Amino acid sequence: MLQLSHITKRFGQTLAVDDVSLSIAPGQIVGLVGENGAGKTTLMRIVAEELRADGGAITRPERIGMVHQHFAIVPEMTIAENLALIDRTAFRFLSLGSIERDAEATVQRSGIALGDVSRRAGELSVGEKSKLELIKAIAVDPTLLILDEPTSVLTPMESAELFGVIRDRTRRGTAVVFISHKVPEVLEIAQRVVVMQRGKIVADTPRAETTAETIADAMVTGARATSPAGSPARSTERSTPLLQVDSLALHRNEIVAIVGVAGNGQTDLIERLRATRRETRIGFIPEDRTRDAIVAEMSIAENLALGERRWSKRAGAARAKSLIDLYRIRATGPRQRAGDLSGGNQQKIVLARELDRRPEVIVAAEPTRGLDIEATRFVHEELRKAVAAGAGLLLITSDLDEAFALADVLHVIYRGKLSEPLTPATAAERAGRLMAGIS
Amino acid sequence: MLELVAASVPLALVASVPLLLAVQGELVVQRSGMINLGVEGMLLAAAFTASVTGTLLGGVAGAVAVAAIFGVFAIVFRADQIVTGTALNLLALGLTAFIYREIGSTAASAMQSNVIAPFAWIVSPLLLALLLWRTTTGLRLRAAGENPDALRSAGHSAAAHRWLALGIESVLVGIGGAHLALALSNGFAENMSAGRGYIALAVVIFGRWRVKGAVIGSAVFGIAAALQYALQAAATPLPYHLLLATPYVVTLLILCGVTGRVVAPESLGKS
Amino acid sequence: MTRLLIGIGAAALAIAVLAMAAALAGHSPADVVGVLFDGALGSPLAIRGTILKSIPLLLTGLCVVIAFRAGVWNIGAEGQFIVGAIAAWMGSPYGTIASMLAAAVAGAVWSSIATAMRLWRNAPEVLTTILLNFIAVHILGWVVNGPLRETSARYPQSDPAASALPQLAEIHAGSLISIATAIAAWWLLYRTTEGLRLRATGLNPSAARHAGINVPAQIARAMAISGAIAGVAGGVELLGVTHRLFERLAVGYGYSGIAVALLAGLHPLGSIASALFFGAFVTGAGELQRTSGISAAIATFGQAVVILAVVAAGALLTSRKPADA
Repeated sequence: MLQLSHITKRFGQTLAVDDVSLSIAPGQIVGLVGENGAGKTTLMRIVAEELRADGGAITRPERIGMVHQHFAIVPEMTIAENLALIDRTAFRFLSLGSIERDAEATVQRSGIALGDVSRRAGELSVGEKSKLELIKAIAVDPTLLILDEPTSVLTPMESAELFGVIRDRTRRGTAVVFISHKVPEVLEIAQRVVVMQRGKIVADTPRAETTAETIADAMVTGARATSPAGSPARSTERSTPLLQVDSLALHRNEIVAIVGVAGNGQTDLIERLRATRRETRIGFIPEDRTRDAIVAEMSIAENLALGERRWSKRAGAARAKSLIDLYRIRATGPRQRAGDLSGGNQQKIVLARELDRRPEVIVAAEPTRGLDIEATRFVHEELRKAVAAGAGLLLITSDLDEAFALADVLHVIYRGKLSEPLTPATAAERAGRLMAGIS
Repeated sequence: MLELVAASVPLALVASVPLLLAVQGELVVQRSGMINLGVEGMLLAAAFTASVTGTLLGGVAGAVAVAAIFGVFAIVFRADQIVTGTALNLLALGLTAFIYREIGSTAASAMQSNVIAPFAWIVSPLLLALLLWRTTTGLRLRAAGENPDALRSAGHSAAAHRWLALGIESVLVGIGGAHLALALSNGFAENMSAGRGYIALAVVIFGRWRVKGAVIGSAVFGIAAALQYALQAAATPLPYHLLLATPYVVTLLILCGVTGRVVAPESLGKS
Repeated sequence: MTRLLIGIGAAALAIAVLAMAAALAGHSPADVVGVLFDGALGSPLAIRGTILKSIPLLLTGLCVVIAFRAGVWNIGAEGQFIVGAIAAWMGSPYGTIASMLAAAVAGAVWSSIATAMRLWRNAPEVLTTILLNFIAVHILGWVVNGPLRETSARYPQSDPAASALPQLAEIHAGSLISIATAIAAWWLLYRTTEGLRLRATGLNPSAARHAGINVPAQIARAMAISGAIAGVAGGVELLGVTHRLFERLAVGYGYSGIAVALLAGLHPLGSIASALFFGAFVTGAGELQRTSGISAAIATFGQAVVILAVVAAGALLTSRKPADA
């Protein structure tokens, strides 16, 4: 049904997809796994005709539905209006009643529960938004359904519901490609697992013949990121907290993690924290690097100097040189454009800039998202060092493993509310349920 | 004072037809996600071509020409819309003045307001509201302004809907320009649009990107402007030149008076 | 390097388009280009005219450079120029320096009205600055017809200003002021903390904010600096060239500043070359109007062509970058 042969795709100098051949049969559920940047999404966007391949041949099935990681919905419009958008008829008059009736029918047919269709899409929870996306994709009755990291914003319960819908589709002959970097999930749903690494398919095996360990090994070249055991020495005495909001208190030499599925009020919390202590020196590592931290058009030296009180070109260049060495930023020099660096090196710039100021409080939001294992380990080490030197770190993450690896205290955030403080020991069993809103 | 206002209403309704049509055209374009600052140049070009040809259709042709350049820059090149619009206004200003001087004078054929004014105040707003909120095309056009990705993923072209919006704007502004040159004045004069396009942009914001708001905003503005002529005639102590500035002062105040969150189309001006 | 090539290409295109337009209107394109060239550079007098025109153009260009670099659409150089000229006239009895300072302050205040409206009411500065242009034009109309009208009351113009800029080799000292401003603007943008923050604000306001830069304050200062430079342009034009206020004082210098700035790729030093080009263009067009009867408005058209060419070239170059990675 879907037949890819020798597909390649370049972005500038990087080979995003490197000579990939793949065929998928009707009714099959294929798990496409790989680390961030392995080329999974790019490959599937080529399949969905959103990108053009540089080379190779494709035979496509008739109707392809693709659900993207970021939502393609119109927040200002209602659910019904969003669903009316996928209507392919050239021109038609609409009435409020008719589009809502049509929308209800579409939702019904998809087998996904979504409630009142007259609600504005912008007011939906993240989980509901992703359901709406799925309904949109299914509404065209696709023969191939591509889901890009569909569970990244879902609670475990919502994921289970999603899996039910997927299985139901395949019974009607739809093939499903499930893109994910979460191995256990893929093993649960997929009948066949395809592993990509650096643009190439490095493994393609039936589910029954593989294990989580083999897949994980195939995904990465280097060793797994292991956190060095034991945290740096911490002062046991409880000084006055550096920060305090509700039940959350952050002390010197302490790492407090806030874990939760994205879109549960983390952004508001960060803004509130920043507002409470304006005079405190806060080092801030934003979640969206390219939007909130890096000025792509400026040089590395200039990006490093952004928070400086006083800057001169010469002193700035010298300081940049030493920070590039210290933080092992791989670049041609301080004058290289920050936008030309890889994500990991950009994150190192942010880290260098924020930590070099010796902040009392560090707020780091998803500091390792999209980074490879080596860069992840580096970021974790630097954060630990800063905390050992006296800072308090507030880590906001959707990655439970990251929270467990770093934190002394955990809070779970769900729909804007913080749980009571948990220790890593007590959190192990409760965190997952709290994230899903089950207390 | 009240009588003065009442007396100026009919005049105001006719005199603000070019503004009203520009507001409606710009409303559609902004709903599709673009800021066309060049609406000023479109109006001027339309006034010129209408007065050269002596027809309504000629006016539309002039507006289409300017809108087409804007479309190529904004939609095809994804160039900066503010700078493009500003350049187009200079383009229209320079070119119309240049040709006007070459031709010498324009054939002025008088046009009656009694069809165009009701069209601009009643027919066109109703049609626009119907198009934007009661058809699939309108739904998609608005989606192009809010989240073009959503439109694309649903298999429709955001570019096509933006071109459509520019087309609608061209027709409306073309009629407005023709009305300006042929009904309100006796032919073309250099820079005769006199900032109406810019004021139109302000009224779109004041009207919160809604057709009803556009009509009300244009009416308020038109009456305020007409009042200014009435005051002039009534020989007020306010100097003539400062009275001339009142429409712009009023527009500034309007822009500042828009209270609460202004809900602009989400992707407005982004390429 | 690419920016330089784009600039030269755009300038050549503007001349070509102008010649074509003249040809369509029945004039010989060679003659037209010849007159344009002679009128701008053919004699010492022509060169002097070109330089005199370039001075206000350089300053309004720098006004636009600073604002655009900070990511603010200051389309209001025209109005800031006018209030600067009025303030300079009013300050002239107190000496040249006081007069220029008054011009700078007036320009800064005028542009800051737009900033205030942006920060308090979220009114887009694109519109407010344009509307403020119209208001400034009418205020100028009022003062030269009313309170500041010349004592003889013959024409709608003011008496000559009480002081004037010194002349150096038949060019008024505004030339030095404008070049010094260009160098200062370059220094500000590329060698100071203020400039670093200003550019970061323009390129990525969100990243600037997260790095601890006070973005609204940054924008407010950039707008004030930008307005001050346009105000000085008005003051220089008044004290150096016109000496009197009259209605058509600004003749589009503010809008031309956008063309100057974009042709220079928003670079302060590049603006010097760009301003000289447009100075020559405008002066040549004036000569065209005198000798061939072609409207000098053709210069406005040429500026538009330059802006569009630069914008198109820029857009086409950046679109080569990958859309997704």
